[in-house]
Amino acid sequence: MISVLATNIVSPLGYTTDENYRAVREHRSKLARYESWRGVPEAFVASVFDEKQRSELMIEGYTILESVAIRSIADALAGCRIDVHSPRTKFILSTTKANVDELSSCAEHDANYIAPGALARKVAAYFGFKSEPVVVCNACISGMDAQLLAHRLLSSGEYDHAVVCGVDMVTPFVIAGFLSFKSMSLDECRPFDIERTGLNVGEAAATIIFGRNVDDDTPRWQLLSGAMSNDAYHLSAPAPKGDGAYRAMCSALGSYDANLLALISTHGTATMFNDQMESKAIERANLLAVPITALKGYYGHTLGAAGVVEPIINMRSLDDGLVLGVRGFDELGVSAKVDVSAKERSTDKQSFLKMISGFGGCNGALLYAKQRGEHTPTIERHKLNTRHRVVITPEKVVVDSDELNVSVSGKALLTEIYKNHIGDYPKYYKMDALSKVLFVASELLMQRFCCECEGKRSSMIIFNSSSSIVSDRKHIATFERSDEFYPSPSIFIGTLPNIALGEFAIKHNCTGETSLYILESRSDALMAEVVESAMSQSDTDIMLTGWVDCSSEDSFEAELVILTK
Amino acid sequence: MEELILELKEHIIDALNLEEITPEDIDNDAPLFGDGLGLDSIDALELIVILDRYYGIKLANPAEGKAIFKSITTIAEYVVANRTK
Repeated sequence: MISVLATNIVSPLGYTTDENYRAVREHRSKLARYESWRGVPEAFVASVFDEKQRSELMIEGYTILESVAIRSIADALAGCRIDVHSPRTKFILSTTKANVDELSSCAEHDANYIAPGALARKVAAYFGFKSEPVVVCNACISGMDAQLLAHRLLSSGEYDHAVVCGVDMVTPFVIAGFLSFKSMSLDECRPFDIERTGLNVGEAAATIIFGRNVDDDTPRWQLLSGAMSNDAYHLSAPAPKGDGAYRAMCSALGSYDANLLALISTHGTATMFNDQMESKAIERANLLAVPITALKGYYGHTLGAAGVVEPIINMRSLDDGLVLGVRGFDELGVSAKVDVSAKERSTDKQSFLKMISGFGGCNGALLYAKQRGEHTPTIERHKLNTRHRVVITPEKVVVDSDELNVSVSGKALLTEIYKNHIGDYPKYYKMDALSKVLFVASELLMQRFCCECEGKRSSMIIFNSSSSIVSDRKHIATFERSDEFYPSPSIFIGTLPNIALGEFAIKHNCTGETSLYILESRSDALMAEVVESAMSQSDTDIMLTGWVDCSSEDSFEAELVILTK
Repeated sequence: MEELILELKEHIIDALNLEEITPEDIDNDAPLFGDGLGLDSIDALELIVILDRYYGIKLANPAEGKAIFKSITTIAEYVVANRTK
């Protein structure tokens, strides 16, 4: 049993869970229209901290993102008693773009200092967390993925407590990216409404502290289960019938009685495609009778924080027996008749399902219920069989024990391997640098293994430290000058490092989970802990996993393996 | 017109990383999406960036692109009629 011990949200609506909940109940929002904001020449709507809030939140020696995360974690820690110094307390940070806002102003050699892993270490050091932090960077589902990771690590008995913090800030970086995708609304967003025209972005940090087998008799919120599934359909567009979302929901729900669900907390970004797809997934799961909520009309899309912010508000409203109204909703504009309302409604049910989806085709669902906890035994980690291994450096490619002949090095080596050993996939040339490395490595592995994949469920968990630094720099160059503001969707999509996994999912119809985790430096022990607990606690039969890092076009390293149970 | 068509093809090959394809390989009237070059929805957004960047044409609604991006010829005609630079 994995219980929620404390929560916090720091957002433009308030600095505690209760302040945020009160604002949402009162239908308040800080969504506002910005024109010529920080050199962005196009208008957009977002929820951002105002100047007064920024100066209140700022901690000297830390970036605004770090400060907001630290304040959120500090408030949550104050709400419970856990030993932060224990090696059995895990810190998991969820963020899509971390401190990327600092990248354009920082010198080349300082890039490591602002990398996601360094950010996690800095925040961990502030509190004195002893165990090595993990950064979950899985596009918009990061916040959900981070909680599922916490659930697995706690369930396998390695840790007693997990502190999960989701944080992202609104930056020209993400605004330029979403503008290039034409997915932003010029008005306040309208989830599930017939007149919805796109999403708004928002900034926030949110923290949930989880504990395993907590001793007390009072009913508490528990994270019962969770699952992820890739659409294996498209890098940016969801599968029209919500294939992955449907599968993730069904797996998370398992044999749980759907009549007990008070609500489904949708992703509800208010883009045409997302809301439509979610309605279909809910219909396919036979859950149309369950009321749905969507919170983007209050917060905007808070990216890596969204999957943490939203269930916290859902838990808090269900404490009061309420399903919150959907701000921005008026008339249903999706084809499946989901039960959505602008007004709050009462309920006596005490459980809910959280849905979330993101670029790279990833989808996730979490099931929460408020109940008395039962002690659950630890779930032993499976010992896994390594079937094949590929190692790639800028000079060398080794598959199992065979070294391939190469005549060039660096970026050209990848293209040579592509031409001589893979070929027939022109999309290769469109891929970003990290995706190319992962593509070449995974194709070489699959050539040796693919005959065994039939009917099996495959997943992919990749670790690195450089995130998507090559694409990050390229993207910055497309919007830095406001008179030369031409952000490119295909470059921006590469700034989400999990896109590389989406490419694999599409090519091999991989419908299991696809996750990208960032560590400050490679740690085989921690990687094994994460992968083995994922394999033991999901229906994955085949796992592609390893370290795939790309710090510049010509410097990369990959060690990728195929594992089976 | 011919000059514009060549220029468009070069921009498209460059922006969409159509490695191993030359301007001569692209038929002026063949469909760009689906069969033809096999472009997808992200490529369509990339074409919108090309219109904006090189010809000063802003398409707010990507749905408008459908008719414009049928072929190289339709793009060229649209550029001639609407360019501001």
